[in-house]
Amino acid sequence: MKRKLLGVIDATTYHEDLEDLLTHRSLAALPFAGRYRIIDFVLSNMVNSGIRSVAIFPKMTYRSLMDHLGSGKNWDLNRKRDGLFFFPTPVVDSDINKIGTFENFAANLDFFYRSSQEYSIITNCYTVFNMDFKPLLDWHIHSGCDITEIHHEDGTPMEMYLVKTSLLIKLIETRNETGYTCMRDAVLDLEHQYSVCSYVYSGYAVMIDSIQNYFSTSLNLLNSDVWKQLFIKEQPILTKVKDEPPTRYLKGSVVQNAMIANGCLINGTVENSIISRGVKIGKGAVIKNSIIMQKCVIEDNCYLDSVILDKDVKVEASTILTGTARDPFVVRKGTKQGALMNS
Amino acid sequence: MGKKKCVAMLLAGGKGSRLNSLTKDLAKPAVPFGGKYRIIDFPLSNCTNSGIDTVGVLTQYQPLLLNSYIGIGSAWDLDRKDGGVTVLPPYAETSEVKWYTGTASAIYQNLNYLKQYQPEYVLILSGDHIYKMNYESMLEYHIEKRADVTISLIEVPWAEASRFGIMNTNEELRITEFEEKPAEPKNNLASMGIYIFSWNILKEYLEMDARNTKSSHDFGKDIIPTLLDENKKLYAYPFKGYWKDVGTVKSLWEANMDLLNDECDLDLFDHDWRIYSVNPNQPPQYISPEAIVKESLINEGCTIEGEIDNSVLFQGVTVGKGSIIKESVIMPDAVIGENVKIEKAIVPSDVIIPDGTVIRSFDDEIILVTEEMLSGLYPAF
Repeated sequence: MKRKLLGVIDATTYHEDLEDLLTHRSLAALPFAGRYRIIDFVLSNMVNSGIRSVAIFPKMTYRSLMDHLGSGKNWDLNRKRDGLFFFPTPVVDSDINKIGTFENFAANLDFFYRSSQEYSIITNCYTVFNMDFKPLLDWHIHSGCDITEIHHEDGTPMEMYLVKTSLLIKLIETRNETGYTCMRDAVLDLEHQYSVCSYVYSGYAVMIDSIQNYFSTSLNLLNSDVWKQLFIKEQPILTKVKDEPPTRYLKGSVVQNAMIANGCLINGTVENSIISRGVKIGKGAVIKNSIIMQKCVIEDNCYLDSVILDKDVKVEASTILTGTARDPFVVRKGTKQGALMNS
Repeated sequence: MGKKKCVAMLLAGGKGSRLNSLTKDLAKPAVPFGGKYRIIDFPLSNCTNSGIDTVGVLTQYQPLLLNSYIGIGSAWDLDRKDGGVTVLPPYAETSEVKWYTGTASAIYQNLNYLKQYQPEYVLILSGDHIYKMNYESMLEYHIEKRADVTISLIEVPWAEASRFGIMNTNEELRITEFEEKPAEPKNNLASMGIYIFSWNILKEYLEMDARNTKSSHDFGKDIIPTLLDENKKLYAYPFKGYWKDVGTVKSLWEANMDLLNDECDLDLFDHDWRIYSVNPNQPPQYISPEAIVKESLINEGCTIEGEIDNSVLFQGVTVGKGSIIKESVIMPDAVIGENVKIEKAIVPSDVIIPDGTVIRSFDDEIILVTEEMLSGLYPAF
């Protein structure tokens, strides 16, 4: 596997439905499950599947993504040979919703030429799943197909493709003649001469493309069946390490059905919620059905139900914030919420 | 190799025999502490936070886990091109294998390590204590006093003073007398086992001590008394704050319980003085709908379905339904079954506690759970 498969992550995607959470970051860097960023799932899957060379193609607000990935050390990708490659794209005006945008790849064609891996897997950056790609590669090789597309059990295409690297290079080079802008175009074109096969994945997988879907997928993590499919000891989801102490539960804490990351100080009630690293929850505060991101401070006697607090939000004492399961109340990064503003 | 102003030497070869089965397979500095750390994280993090980037770690007893834990030092940001962390085990010479016979002999045998950095000062630390301390301030004090040696001291309760090495000083804090575990202590200022030596004094006296066949080659017993006899300038550096020798099962338990006390001076949440450790990269902890968690410290990767009351849980611990964990320390990846009751105990790493087990002491002693106990040979429960 070591020198056989190249990982290519298209991190150029943007979903307008997630706008409130994407003003400061790219979709790939969206915080998820208390301590991860969405890209951690696909990236860890690649590393756990033995992939040793991963290229990431981000676009626009990629500062937080770069900060998160660093040298790739946390994924063991800071290598002398191969490792993690980061290709911010120079193209800013093409269709940003297309996966595997060949134009972006074309700008870095040299990289594909230089790569010694015979096969490439091209994926999106926003799927929450824990999948071993090794059986997929074996399947692809044995099937003799030119392009293998991964489908979920329910029939949804997962926007992930396995091809020979030489074919990928050819598709990129001939993009102007064929009119293909991305892998999906190539797969959907009925006229081409390539054999396209479908590989069915039956494990848990959700593509995060809206606030509603982000919210429900997050809270679904509290369901132990989902939890056990995502967090597998032998295939750990790796992420940037933060050196937070363990979480401390103080006198006033009442916590039930919650996922809580490290470095929190909890002095209030938490129910059916996801609490990220370094969150402080004051005395008498109640947090229900909510997602609280990194370093938020919720002061005494607040009441939060069906809320998403982005990073570094401060909720002043006695504030009430409520949303619904279909339409959670989203508070933007770094803002302050006071009792008077919302009462 | 670049010249370094101050190089730290961390004595990490301790057996910690009073920790019983906890140190059967690992050195005392590698004993887990505080839900996430190992004891050695404290001096190593103190070094990094104090701007000391060159640390020699002297290992001897059961070094396997300690060596792999330290690795190249990246967890403490001590993976440096110049300096960084270096593990220094005993080694063989043409004539014989030289074990470290005392704290001084351990440093003496690594004088070549120190010489390559041409240090002005050498900081000697022990890997047995839990505390946060700015060594840079101590070094400034040492320089200001033009001392030959500076020894860090802490006030201990009078009743316990006879367990420690006690220093008597004059008004300028110059050390006049040192008494190792005195029966009738004259004061309650105990040595913390932290020394700063000016390099030429250290070199001279270690070489002299090595030639002395009657010496036990120990800093406290041999080097410090000799320096005092020869009227060298030894100064006391009074330390205020949390410091604990976790040498016994009881003191290890107490130090963990201290973290649950609001009055405790040891703040793990202080971002300006972080304690770094090797991160296990586990998912967040999961607290189930049936769980009750009261005044506890819980690390990532735990799955809690029972009741946790005034306890410290390390990463990857599972607690089953109906179980009650009270005033206890549960070390990494221990599995607590259903309807288990544990009170005032330390459960070591990877131990599996079967359903329905009751572990409780009747005489306020802290129980260290062992495999033998669980196989039914122990009369406590």
